[in-house]
Amino acid sequence: MDKQKWEGRLIDYIDGRADAAERAAIENELLHNEAVRNLYNQLTEVIGAMNEARVLEPSGKLKANFEQALQEEIASQARPTKTVFFSPVVYRVAAGFVLLMVGLAIGYKINQSNVEADRLARLEKELEENRQMMLAMMDNQLSASQRMIGVSVAYEMEKPDDEIVNVLVKTMNEDVNTNVRLAALDALGKFSNEEQVRNELIGSLKTQKDPVVQIALIQLLVTMKEKGVLNQLEKITRDAGTLKAVKDEAHAGILKLS
Amino acid sequence: MKKVLVLICVWLAAQTAFAQEFKVAKSTGRLELNIGRVTVEGHSGNEIIFSSRDNRESKDERAQGLRPINGMGLDDNTGLGINVTQKGDVVEVNQLKKMNAPDIKVLVPKGVIVSFSHQSQYGGKATFKNMENEIEVSATYNSIELENVTGPLAIKSVYGHIEASLGGNIKGPISIVSVYDYVDVALSPAIKANLKLSTSYGEIFVGPEFNIEIEKQGNWVQYSDKVNGKLNGGGLSIDIRADYGKIYLRKK
Repeated sequence: MDKQKWEGRLIDYIDGRADAAERAAIENELLHNEAVRNLYNQLTEVIGAMNEARVLEPSGKLKANFEQALQEEIASQARPTKTVFFSPVVYRVAAGFVLLMVGLAIGYKINQSNVEADRLARLEKELEENRQMMLAMMDNQLSASQRMIGVSVAYEMEKPDDEIVNVLVKTMNEDVNTNVRLAALDALGKFSNEEQVRNELIGSLKTQKDPVVQIALIQLLVTMKEKGVLNQLEKITRDAGTLKAVKDEAHAGILKLS
Repeated sequence: MKKVLVLICVWLAAQTAFAQEFKVAKSTGRLELNIGRVTVEGHSGNEIIFSSRDNRESKDERAQGLRPINGMGLDDNTGLGINVTQKGDVVEVNQLKKMNAPDIKVLVPKGVIVSFSHQSQYGGKATFKNMENEIEVSATYNSIELENVTGPLAIKSVYGHIEASLGGNIKGPISIVSVYDYVDVALSPAIKANLKLSTSYGEIFVGPEFNIEIEKQGNWVQYSDKVNGKLNGGGLSIDIRADYGKIYLRKK
């Protein structure tokens, strides 16, 4: 016996959804087939119980409680409803406004930092251009005054980079014009607390042949209290080819340093 | 009366014909004067004009038909006792005689940088007048006189004195150095400048019209006399140095 098939048919029969032929067939089966009859009995019992349960009404008190709770709930929801409807708008506007302000502020900040960065970049570019211009000026072979202006730009610097120091040293040692050499010496003198510059100044004393620069260089080394040049100063005082004024300065330097 | 006028005209014509001139068409670049003495004046033309102011130099009969040569292989291509050569932007002027420098006068256009360089002791004074040009001087014995120049100036003489009278629209930098002799500079006290005056064994004199804001040098012991200061808030750089000589800064 196909139990599941029979269950379906029997449930339909019990619920009165079976047609006349089906009913006759089922009633005939119920009479002769004990298994079907058992199933039928079980099903009627279950369905009967289910039907009974369906009509089960909550008790009056329960109902009243529920109704009251419902009313209370509705009542309690009633006032908030107003804000529930209103507040999102206010909040939304407020939030929108705040967002806008934050956005603006961020935008402003970003813009500001961009402006700042632009300004810095422009300043850097200007500095670089100035530097290039200065180096170009120091390389102007036609005009000593242009070279002097280049050197004086270096003089105004806080701290020169290596390239500028090298160009200044080269100018001090090799420029054809004494005044330009002096200006370069002056600029290097300003940076004489830097090791490299100090060494270059000491080194220059050996090679410098321009008497005017020699005198200024000796004076500078003496104010720097550079005792390391004493030997070189001795040599200068004995050098027959050196101008008397330079020898005198060297003598004076030896006295002041030792 | 007419005869006198004609005579004067003829005389003037003869004068200009005899007064030799040598011209170089150049209104920019650089003029290098490697001669013992010179008078340079500014003019508004487009040519550098050389002329000789020597009249005392009498004709040497024995040298007739010969040409002077010198160790540098230079020719007297001007008839003035000097050789003028153009090398690119530079016009180079050399004298042919080692001693006894010819007295040359040069008129230069405004845009030409003028450089005077002479190291031997057989020279004379170098004078620069009414010039807006940049002037460079590198001399050992020559005294240098600058009248009514604007700068920029880069002037050095080891033994000679330097006198400079600055006027007009003064342009920096101004750097003037003499080791043994004095430096005398006249300019307007109204000038805005960064001033550096230094001497080792000389003295510094400044006109009362100049109000120098002197930079303090801290507590350094100054062996030499150095004045660093600003005139009227500072501006173009004026650097004057006379190690053994005196410095005079006076009102113009």
